[in-house]
Amino acid sequence: MPSRDIVLRMSGISKRYGSLSALLDVDFALARGEVMALLGENGAGKSTLVKILAGLERADAGAVEIEGQPIRLRSPSHSLQAGVAYVTQELSIVGPLSVAENICLGGRDQQVVWTRARLADEVKPFLTLVGLESIDPSVPAGSLSVAQQQLVEIARLLSRNAQILILDEPTAALSDVEIEKVKAVVRKLASEGRSIIYVTHRLGEVFEIADRVTIFRNGRSFEPVEVKSLDIDELIQHLLGRRLEQMFPGRSETLGPIVLSLREVMAPGLSRPVSLELREGEILGLAGQLGSGANGVVRAIAGVVPSDSGSIELRGRPFRPGSIRDAIKEGIAYCSDDRKRDGIFGVRNLFENFTSTALWRISIGGLLSRPREIKIATELADFFEVDAARLGRHAAKLSGGNQQKVALGKWLGIEPSILLVEEPTRGVDVGARAEIYRHLRKLANQGLAIVFVSSDNQEVLGLADTVATFFRGRLVRVASADSLEAEELLRDVTHPGAEDVRFIQ
Amino acid sequence: MKSLRIVADLVQTGPPEELDPQIASNRRRQATAALVVALIVLLIVAGLTTPSFLTFENLLVVIRNASVTGIVALGMSYVTISGNLFALSAEELSILSACIFGWLMRANFGLSLSLVVTLLLSGGGGAVQGGIIALGADPIITTLAFGGFFRGLASVVSQNQNILLGSDAAEWLGTGRPLGVPTQSWAFIILTLVAWFVLQRTRFGRLLLLSGANRVAGTASGLRIGQAALLGLTLLGFCCGITGIFAAAQFGQAVANLFQGLNFDVIAAILVGGIALRGGQGSPIQAALGAVFISVLQNFMLLHDFTSGWRTTVVGILVVVATCGFHLLQRRRA
Repeated sequence: MPSRDIVLRMSGISKRYGSLSALLDVDFALARGEVMALLGENGAGKSTLVKILAGLERADAGAVEIEGQPIRLRSPSHSLQAGVAYVTQELSIVGPLSVAENICLGGRDQQVVWTRARLADEVKPFLTLVGLESIDPSVPAGSLSVAQQQLVEIARLLSRNAQILILDEPTAALSDVEIEKVKAVVRKLASEGRSIIYVTHRLGEVFEIADRVTIFRNGRSFEPVEVKSLDIDELIQHLLGRRLEQMFPGRSETLGPIVLSLREVMAPGLSRPVSLELREGEILGLAGQLGSGANGVVRAIAGVVPSDSGSIELRGRPFRPGSIRDAIKEGIAYCSDDRKRDGIFGVRNLFENFTSTALWRISIGGLLSRPREIKIATELADFFEVDAARLGRHAAKLSGGNQQKVALGKWLGIEPSILLVEEPTRGVDVGARAEIYRHLRKLANQGLAIVFVSSDNQEVLGLADTVATFFRGRLVRVASADSLEAEELLRDVTHPGAEDVRFIQ
Repeated sequence: MKSLRIVADLVQTGPPEELDPQIASNRRRQATAALVVALIVLLIVAGLTTPSFLTFENLLVVIRNASVTGIVALGMSYVTISGNLFALSAEELSILSACIFGWLMRANFGLSLSLVVTLLLSGGGGAVQGGIIALGADPIITTLAFGGFFRGLASVVSQNQNILLGSDAAEWLGTGRPLGVPTQSWAFIILTLVAWFVLQRTRFGRLLLLSGANRVAGTASGLRIGQAALLGLTLLGFCCGITGIFAAAQFGQAVANLFQGLNFDVIAAILVGGIALRGGQGSPIQAALGAVFISVLQNFMLLHDFTSGWRTTVVGILVVVATCGFHLLQRRRA
């Protein structure tokens, strides 16, 4: 795109962390009014580049030019002053303050006294910029949805006159409908001449939103590619450096007897009772966007929240877990969608993480047996293809993919018969994703019954044997994955018509 | 007190997301090594500059003083490592234990029965606090409240008078020196090894570490998180009981104004020892080293005629330096 003028040029950027090269002589340029997607597996270097630009990290070597002026970015506030705004998944919204106050937060206001009305007037144009003109600026920001909060954050940065916006996985925590809103705002801002760097794991988004894409691999960047000239296979091939023939493993050949059945179960998050069945060796995918209620079903089975009414039968016997421990005793394992919060022990090593659910298996009469611990942890690492050399490392140190393997793997210690997983590959790069799918399928083939909840439709169709779709607290449809079209699934989870709502009794 | 916790978190560990835990762990090891080096340097300097320092008599005093703080610090390290910060009732529970032990001895219950009953009661005192914390109460507030309760109870038991033990057996317990080393110091050394072994090598120790590392993940993994708080504080209660008994036995009497400043000394030992306030990391050995270091420093100052005000000031500065130093150590990147 030589005709467009360049707002940002980074050249020869290198950055090392200890012995690890995060970036190696990377060149990067951004044109005015374009959306540039950054793609790469975890650790490929895209986050590091973005952090250098945001003033959070300093490059060891290389030069940065903004609007043709050489600049050394010293701190986040310095970057913002230079017109670079960084929006991360961790929003800096202050919930109890009003939307207007949030937008003005940290800005330079000459006046000592301000009134609500004046603040509202001041922020109105920025709210309009991000498509929130219908929001009352005086409501507490905490009362908005996550997507709206994200837009408020963008508005705040725009009010500082940011010309280059870095959006770091802006849609990771959003539902499809909300994602559309954010994407619309991104397109609008670009069309008004702002430049956007869009970091994402979702390949689909790249095609919808980006003009060009820069791919990172092993700390190096490739020449930006026009999105128009790409197709998805090519993109994956670029990302991995090899063609990924099949992301998903095959389906289950034979299903065993029913292990779990839900009859008319009501749980927090559901608006109608749900009935479902799960067989040995089956992978059941619960598809739904944020607020669909699918999580509530899984959590009721896991004993996280008790079901309100209805009955659950486990291997033909009534089962009503009052706590997670109850479920664990029955061989039910549960991985939530927030593994950093409750899936791993960040400051403990992998031996300890892998064996944390079944301390009795590594101890004899209260004393820990080191050989048993090593044996179990090594087997699990082997099964999940976690490098055994990393077993002594802290879990927090691992990539998202490896952390997820640990969060899943630790459950094999209880020899579960049912595995419940929410968002099995959230924040996991493409390569590790395929591995996790393969491991889950392998477990199912060994007789484990798996239920997973996902807002990634592709994942649901690819991994599940049976799909149950959820929309706003109710079960829309249960169908075999082979018989379900991607379009049907998308409609089910976003806006099913009344005629589509069928209840499987 | 909430703010205390936040400040403590910040001071001790810095922003977690900036931290490479592996490096942090190495740094922690470095911090322990640094403490050992500092201790050796202090011993050499004190020995060279202070004629009376390296005498047998004086070293026994140092070791015995370290034992009082040290034994309680061992118990406290369990509380901290299990993710429950500090118990601010350790001093008070030690006093109460001393008074109960004195009262039992005076009432002629005999040494063994008095020992058993005192230890059971002190353990019970810890268990009650632990139980309440296990139910979700804030550890700082809970133990602060119990501290007042224990102190009051100690005054009631002793009626604010010296309780004379009048027992030769108890006196030996407090002043005896098997193989030339005071009984307290034997207890300190043995308990340090036991505490280390329990934390590293038993299921309970693993439960404590995992609970401290991530309470929510612990619950989600089916661990009995409450047990960690309960057992941690119970063990601290036992340690307070042991310290109380030793003190009463050593002086031949119990009184409600023993152990002044013990809470601070114990917390100082934890901080100087470099145990992370976030929990989930650290070892009782660090707490023991911290206690020894502070005791040597105190003794050194005492021999140099520092007033009590200056000694407290210097230990205070040491805690500040240790905390900040550790913080800086963590932030520096390789």
